[in-house]
Amino acid sequence: MRDHPFNPWKAETLSTTFEQDLLDLLPRLRRFAAGLAGNPADGDDLCQMALERALANRSRWQEGTRLDSWTYRIMRNIWIDEGRAESRRRQTFVAEEAGATQGGEGAQEAAAELSYVDRAMQKLPPDQREAVLLVMVEGYAYKEAAEIVGCPVGTLNSRLVRGRDALMAMLGEAQ
Amino acid sequence: MTVTREELAAFADGELTGERAAQVAAAVAADPALAGEVEAHRALRARLADHYAPVAAAPVPDRLAALLARPQEAEVVDFAEAKERREARRGIPRWGWIVGPALAASLALVLLLPGSGGNDAAYADPQLAGVLDSRLVAEQAPGADTRVLLSFRAQGGEFCRVFSGEGGGGIACRDRQGWRLEALGEGSAGASTDYRMAGASDAALLARAQEMAQGPALDAEAEAAAQANDWRGASAR
Repeated sequence: MRDHPFNPWKAETLSTTFEQDLLDLLPRLRRFAAGLAGNPADGDDLCQMALERALANRSRWQEGTRLDSWTYRIMRNIWIDEGRAESRRRQTFVAEEAGATQGGEGAQEAAAELSYVDRAMQKLPPDQREAVLLVMVEGYAYKEAAEIVGCPVGTLNSRLVRGRDALMAMLGEAQ
Repeated sequence: MTVTREELAAFADGELTGERAAQVAAAVAADPALAGEVEAHRALRARLADHYAPVAAAPVPDRLAALLARPQEAEVVDFAEAKERREARRGIPRWGWIVGPALAASLALVLLLPGSGGNDAAYADPQLAGVLDSRLVAEQAPGADTRVLLSFRAQGGEFCRVFSGEGGGGIACRDRQGWRLEALGEGSAGASTDYRMAGASDAALLARAQEMAQGPALDAEAEAAAQANDWRGASAR
């Protein structure tokens, strides 16, 4: 594809396409991020981190492979890492303030604003939540979703079923 | 025949293929409970899709789009181009955008002077000469009475500067005797202290400067170097 590796015009064209493709993906990326993070505002923060990391690591993206899967994987990895850091912080907090209610008042008020679906999704463990989102919202095939998550297809399938069953139980009550 | 919950979900998602898909389809058709589960799975899928659809349909926030708006410099291999980008970022006026629409009509606003260092040539008075000697484009105060719009190197090798002030603007080139005035215009400096646009006359001067110049306007570094060398160009050496 790069027949003139030292042609700056060509290089410029390539790099602009990368940005344009990400821009085209952005509405979907925001949707996935909002689902992972639990609300659109936190989702946009996650989305920003993912875009920054994608831009910084663009040389690792192989042309001809799917940019959407690659970027979803970046976003998903950031979310998992942030989640681990967050739960460590929370554990520390709970240990220090023994007897305090988990999460705090602010979090509870914010949760009350959320819809049934949002609240049910937030109760899902991360591995089930991402499986549900990738397949049932983003429309990925099991194989594609498994590649984004980095697990076997069978594992993704069973996480999806557990997540789905939990959601149906919670939403069934709420309806 | 036993259908696992995983298989049922895969069936509902269209993930089963071949013989197994046909077997599950037959089982679902024969068992209302299984059919109900497939239906529930699809209903949940539709509900989730509807729930998150507004996020994807909403306009993308500017702060996210802005991250992707300007090309990053990942693969610059051309040094001249890289230099040009650095200069552009420094905010020193470049020909292209400051002259903008060339305003050919307003060229009439510029009075071209005899020039060429002959006896008829007009020179900047001491006060203007002081400004031209000392002031760098990047360092002048926004509200200065006389502003230097930019500096460039003329085709003969002399350094020239475009200035603009309440009393009028012009183009002056440095030769052995001083700052020789090449062109005069109406000028516009002092009109605004906070926001300044190049007026019609300034644009005409800049268009004229572009004609006279060899290459682009000097960047801050080149301008400082020229000043350090007392603006001695080729013809003054």
